[in-house]
Amino acid sequence: MLKKFKPYVMLAPVMFIILGIFTMGLALGFFQSLGYFPAVGLKEFTLRYYKEVLTDIGFLDSLKFTLYTSFVSSTLALIIGVLLAYSIFQSKSRKGVLYTIYKLPVIVPHSIAALLVFNVLTQSGILARVLFYLGIISEQTQFPSLIFDQNGIGIIISYLWKGIPFIAMTVYTVLSNINDKLTDAALNLGANRRQVFWKILLPLLMPSILSSYIIIFAFSFGAFEIPYLLGPTSPKLLPVKAYIEYINPDLSHRPYSMVINMVLASYSLILVWFYSKTFKLFSKFDEIS
Amino acid sequence: MYKIELKNISKVFENKRVLKGINLIVNEGEMLSLLGPSGCGKTTTLKIIAGLFSPDCGDILFNGKSIVNIPVEKRGAVIVFQDYLLFPHMTVEENIAFGLKMAKIKKPKRRVKVREMIDLVKLDGCEKKYPSELSGGQKQRVAIARALAIEPKVLLLDEPFSNLDTRLRESMRIFVCDIQKKLGITTILVTHDKEEALLTSHRVAVILDGEIKQIGTPAEVYEKPSSPLVADFFGEKNYLEGEIIKGFFVCKMGKFKTGFDKYPRVMAMIRPEEIELTDSEEGSGFWGRILSKQYAGDKIYYKLSANDIQLKCMANSKNMFEANQRVWLKIDFEKTIFFKAEKS
Amino acid sequence: MKKNNYIFKITMYLLIFLLISPLVILVIWSFVRIWPWPNLLPRDYGLRGFKHVLDPSTKSLRVLFLSVGLSSLVTLCTLLISIPAAKALGVYEFRGKGFFKMLILAPIIVPPVAVAMGIHIAFIKLGLANTFLGVVFVHLVPCIPYAVRILTNVFEIIGESMEMQARVLGASPLQTFIKITLPLMAPGLLSAGSLVFIVSLSQYFLTFLIGGGRIITLPMLMFPYIQSGDRMMASTYSIIFIVTALIMLLIMERIVRNYYKEQNYFYI
Repeated sequence: MLKKFKPYVMLAPVMFIILGIFTMGLALGFFQSLGYFPAVGLKEFTLRYYKEVLTDIGFLDSLKFTLYTSFVSSTLALIIGVLLAYSIFQSKSRKGVLYTIYKLPVIVPHSIAALLVFNVLTQSGILARVLFYLGIISEQTQFPSLIFDQNGIGIIISYLWKGIPFIAMTVYTVLSNINDKLTDAALNLGANRRQVFWKILLPLLMPSILSSYIIIFAFSFGAFEIPYLLGPTSPKLLPVKAYIEYINPDLSHRPYSMVINMVLASYSLILVWFYSKTFKLFSKFDEIS
Repeated sequence: MYKIELKNISKVFENKRVLKGINLIVNEGEMLSLLGPSGCGKTTTLKIIAGLFSPDCGDILFNGKSIVNIPVEKRGAVIVFQDYLLFPHMTVEENIAFGLKMAKIKKPKRRVKVREMIDLVKLDGCEKKYPSELSGGQKQRVAIARALAIEPKVLLLDEPFSNLDTRLRESMRIFVCDIQKKLGITTILVTHDKEEALLTSHRVAVILDGEIKQIGTPAEVYEKPSSPLVADFFGEKNYLEGEIIKGFFVCKMGKFKTGFDKYPRVMAMIRPEEIELTDSEEGSGFWGRILSKQYAGDKIYYKLSANDIQLKCMANSKNMFEANQRVWLKIDFEKTIFFKAEKS
Repeated sequence: MKKNNYIFKITMYLLIFLLISPLVILVIWSFVRIWPWPNLLPRDYGLRGFKHVLDPSTKSLRVLFLSVGLSSLVTLCTLLISIPAAKALGVYEFRGKGFFKMLILAPIIVPPVAVAMGIHIAFIKLGLANTFLGVVFVHLVPCIPYAVRILTNVFEIIGESMEMQARVLGASPLQTFIKITLPLMAPGLLSAGSLVFIVSLSQYFLTFLIGGGRIITLPMLMFPYIQSGDRMMASTYSIIFIVTALIMLLIMERIVRNYYKEQNYFYI
């Protein structure tokens, strides 16, 4: 009988933190988004804040902009990351500095990634200087502003810098675990190198590609640092917008901030659901032999 | 139907000569076994025929045409791998259709061929299953169907039965032989299992240490091995050194009549089952003593000592002898195989 | 095939160059005294940034030690509570396993911004806001999923049979854990520990909000310089951050290696 509870007891400490902080945090945020915030005397549940926020043009612009930057950055990171992993795999230089050095961005925090983009892409950055040196531009102002811009180029590039090595690392690990003989078998049955990649390797990599895609998508969707440092004043990305509402000295603004947070969280929860679905989908051929 | 010819194929891996000039002809529609212990180079030979490795020197001919420069995917020599290597993300149907798809065969035609293959290997009802849902024998059959679907010029089987349990192995063996006979496809089977090689193939090529030591029908290689090395590969043997003098084999045990007179100094190869044991003196023979006995049901293995020479003997369990018992050994030297004695 | 390999090699070098060259520029910036537009290289080099950081009166060193200490503590706590959880998820079958797995992984996906703002009020009420302990607690949230994920994989591979063998041979549960389980999972522990340490050390927003400006870590010290565009100082802090992280990863690897002599059990 006691054995039956063993796994639950073992999970208890982790669940204490997850339920106590993570779930609790979301729940408290949810209540506040519904206007229940006793600390400032708001005690009635209402959908007023949702209605206001969701119909606000500024909010919708932010939501679009947020979806756009995270979609573009994670999709590009995915494609380039897979390409990098496959290139390393094909060029067979599995040892040596090159093989490890590309992972360096993974341990660098996002705020530093923002700084790097800042160093390279501002109008006084290295790229502008190189173009000046080559005579392509003759003045700083001729260099397009890629930071704080409405197209989110700076944001996208810094997410790419973080995302590409992350994807490449995960994909490379799985790639090197796929039995080489499977490639032999496909070649032997008449497939060429390209067909082997598209028909054999890519489908086998799909679970890990999808799960890392969802991780970087979710991250760029909800992270604060990079948009705060590199984003335009308008439209603001959602996490920044939520934060600005949050630090409003008028505490009755809190519910607005929480509504934005709930939008962020619910999008992510859809992703979590999708994440587990993709795993079920692929579990049939889970064995990488 | 294709005739396969290997001419002086050599291959070096990391300074080790894996193949030392392999010459081999496989006739149209023939089933030939490459038999040898692991590491002898038989799988390498297979991969070279398929085009997964290229030989360092030598030539491969299909119906008299060299195919060494044709890449793997266009060569049409399909391997059925030891571990099947079914694509885990494809169903049985998709696995079988894979090669056809690569050859850009149209869908209706593909469907007909897949159906035909599924019927051939008797896998009805498994079309939509994934490899992880199949048993070992089923996986094996999918692998064979997948290979046969593209109508290869030669079918290469790499230890195809070694991952199956004993009973399944037997039925799969019969199954594969039947299919081979039915389709008449030129087939090369690689195996380390001598019984498998003898049972399945028209001819057996024994490879030891990167060289083909003997090629012949199963009976030839078993009955008339070309060297003690080949003989030993088919089971433990006894060897008696001696001389041939005027139609007699003279050794430590005595003088025995024989028809052999090729070399003066010889080694007689005596199979454990060729020694007959009795408890009384009877015809020409010699005395020995039982050292140990191992009971194996239908047969008994003895170790004997005669004139300070140890002999292995296998007898049926009709007469049982105990350790230390004196026995009379009878050997028919007229049928014995003699090898030229190595310099002693 | 030969030509293809060439293309892949070029792609690889190009991509790695694009990823690494910004870091080289970062190093250069940290040693700059004057680097006016449009010079391709700095006009004058100096150590002002490093002097500032290493100067005892600027508290930067204290912040550095506090950051490392905080993240080490977070790593230790995360591993301690994640090991049993990972074993439960990796070895046992029980009701609701899938649900627990998903719930524990959720913090990777759900934005920490939303969680932190929601829990802030509760932390204030409990007196955890603006305290070291509060920051440790809130750091556990993004760290646990990574640790549990890696360690669950480890337990799925090693299973329980080795432990059972040890128990049959007369080892107590504690001895089994120390002599068998821990050495078997050492490589996994190392990768989980490294990842968790980096995640904790990189946290900005959680520390900023829950620490309330009282608990200052390296990223928080760095942030204003990036924001104000002081490239030299920001680059110096970044270099110190990256070097610290690398040194700590190396130390962790050494500890695990020395403790278990050889690392050739499995490689996760």
